[in-house]
Amino acid sequence: MLIASALALRYHNQPHMANNSHPVVVQVEDLHKQYEGIRALCGVTFEIHQGEVFGLLGPNGAGKTTTIEILEGLRRPDSGRVTVCGMDPAREKAALKERIGAQLQATVLHDKIRVEEALELFASFYREPASVGMLLERFGLVEKRRSFFEKLSGGQKQRLALALALVNNPELVLLDEPTVGLDAQVRRDIYALIEQFRAEGRTTLLTTHYIEEAERLCDRVAIIDRGQVIALGTPRELVEASGKGTRLELRLAKPVALDRLRQLEAVTDCREAEGIYYLHAQPPAQAVAALVRLLEAEDNVLVDLHMSQPTLEDVFVEMTGRKME
Amino acid sequence: MRAAIRIALMSIRLVMRTKAALFFTFLFPLIFLFAYAGIFAHGNPAAVVYMFGPLVTLNIMGSGFWGLGTQSVMQRERGSLRRYRLAPIGSGSMVMSSLLANYLLGLPTVALLVACAMVFFHMPLQIDLLTLLALVTAGTFAFAGFGLTIASIANTMQEAQIYNNVIWFTLLFLSGVTVPLPMLPHWIQRFAAFLPATYLVTSFQAIMVGGESLSQHWLEMLVLVVSGTFGLLLAWKLFRWEKEEKISRRAKLLAIAFVVPFLLMGTWINVHRNLVAWAETYSLLGRTVSSGDQRAAPAEGILLDDFEDPQESEALLQHWQVLTEGGAAALSVGELDLILPGAAGTAHALRFHGRVAPDHGHVAARYTFALSFAGKDVRGLEVEVRGDSRLYQLKVTPPTAASAPISASFIPDSDWQTIRLPASALANPSATANATASCLLEIVVDGAPGEFHIDLDELRLY
Repeated sequence: MLIASALALRYHNQPHMANNSHPVVVQVEDLHKQYEGIRALCGVTFEIHQGEVFGLLGPNGAGKTTTIEILEGLRRPDSGRVTVCGMDPAREKAALKERIGAQLQATVLHDKIRVEEALELFASFYREPASVGMLLERFGLVEKRRSFFEKLSGGQKQRLALALALVNNPELVLLDEPTVGLDAQVRRDIYALIEQFRAEGRTTLLTTHYIEEAERLCDRVAIIDRGQVIALGTPRELVEASGKGTRLELRLAKPVALDRLRQLEAVTDCREAEGIYYLHAQPPAQAVAALVRLLEAEDNVLVDLHMSQPTLEDVFVEMTGRKME
Repeated sequence: MRAAIRIALMSIRLVMRTKAALFFTFLFPLIFLFAYAGIFAHGNPAAVVYMFGPLVTLNIMGSGFWGLGTQSVMQRERGSLRRYRLAPIGSGSMVMSSLLANYLLGLPTVALLVACAMVFFHMPLQIDLLTLLALVTAGTFAFAGFGLTIASIANTMQEAQIYNNVIWFTLLFLSGVTVPLPMLPHWIQRFAAFLPATYLVTSFQAIMVGGESLSQHWLEMLVLVVSGTFGLLLAWKLFRWEKEEKISRRAKLLAIAFVVPFLLMGTWINVHRNLVAWAETYSLLGRTVSSGDQRAAPAEGILLDDFEDPQESEALLQHWQVLTEGGAAALSVGELDLILPGAAGTAHALRFHGRVAPDHGHVAARYTFALSFAGKDVRGLEVEVRGDSRLYQLKVTPPTAASAPISASFIPDSDWQTIRLPASALANPSATANATASCLLEIVVDGAPGEFHIDLDELRLY
């Protein structure tokens, strides 16, 4: 059971949704980075406002971790401009680290360090640390405070990693794939914690390749692929902008020509895979009515029909022609 | 610095919780103590004193190479440095914390070695605690520098182990840590002058056995501290948080700076200092025993020859012979004569004298003796010597074929002194209790060509 905390923040503390009128906390402009000739980032640009939960969504190898590590000051960009909390991460590392909290994709600590000791040790590095007792309580680690790191489950390790990210009571939290490899229940626990960050007014940047995570948690999302931001906006804006409308999955008794389906009223797109027909329609009701008329005319039968709203995955597929993996 | 102290204290706490680390930090050095003192020194307190320096050096080297050095690479490979990288601490704090933890863990280990050596082997602590602390501190600093430098230039654990093994075994066998320097060939002794472990071992032995002061070894200490500082700076400069970060060849060349003090020191020793000083310390073992080990007083030994027999001239021909390299054609010569007076007020002594020719440097006097072992507790052989301050070797070949010859180098001066050679093989013949067996003793003239003379008396087993 995760307990909400009354963790005090030393800055603006008004829960809110994304609002472009709030000050910019992270500014990234035309970021480029190469590793041994391989392009990792190519002109990445976005900004994050105070109090916002911002998601970098993309497949593995898209450039999410490189971006977040540049923001943390762990890597230098080849070119481009980065400002975090008004500072240059490459030049003002020490001052910046006092104001940001970060969780790595994989946090590795000494096997024999106890949970409480780890928090106390890392808290001791900061000028204004958070209360270790409060962090233990907030992240559901009170019972595990004396446990060795090696004895923790994956979820407990990730909660400890999140607690370590908050050990300096940061105004900006950077989370790199916070739920990767965790089971559904643990993921939901982590989601609840991240939602608390927003409720406290913290600015949060998270990278993920889980659509559900981005849709559920993020005020705004930048979809990143092969080092480039290919879409940026709220999840709703991105889905609506895709213009494909509601998705329909059909199974028919007899095959039908794709052209006939494409010509149906309100249908915007159509394709077939392994005997299943995938249609996008806007508005969907008109498309269904037209479909029924077509099937009657061709003496065909509708075996199965599923309707769903488009997701960010659809947006990604639409923009890249690939599934997000 | 505050962060470094906190990380160091946490590291110590974590070592205390890790069985393997505990074993290698505390138990492993004790195993070596019992091996050195119990097996090599045969429990002889004087020999334990001589071996204590090498033992401490071995321990300090181990923690520098296999503790500090490999741990740093392992942490980097494991990814556990990344979390620290996110905190507002620099690479300097990480390097300092490693050094500090290594030092603080090393001190109790040395204390444990001292205590066990004194309790179990009656080792007289012939060194004051401040001097001991200074030697341990300088040594720890230097070998921590070694470990940190290797960790800095090695890209992987495998690479670090290759570097470690090459340097470790060189230091282990060629710097007096396992084999006393005077027992090694001269050219190896010259090479040993370039090795940092040699400075620590010989300083320990000169102070603990030779009664010298730390100030007489300030140069060795300085070189150790300077090299340690270089290592620390290199580690700071080349510190890497991520295993993906690889070091360039150019940066690896910086590591050469670390060995510069050793090159300078080695050259200086070879040019200005007589290497036989190390043998001199070794030769002092006998004198140390006389004062430190009352059980081994000469009067209680088994007399082999005191050269007082009225028929000594005939006995000389029977038991002693002169050996020169190259047989009859050799240009080196050696003779044996009885002289007056002998050691400690005795009438006679044996003089071995002659000349070592260039390129025919081997001259030896050989003594063959038969010995009954019935009920005897023999731990070695001793002889009173005086001579011309050149290097000699005392060599004993035990009676059993399986036992290898045992030797020790020494430098006799114009005063009589006792040279003692621990040789437990003499006490453990394969023969039955009443049997007798033949042993060989040789006085070998080492060193530069020229005249030599050495007087011998009171040859006995103890």
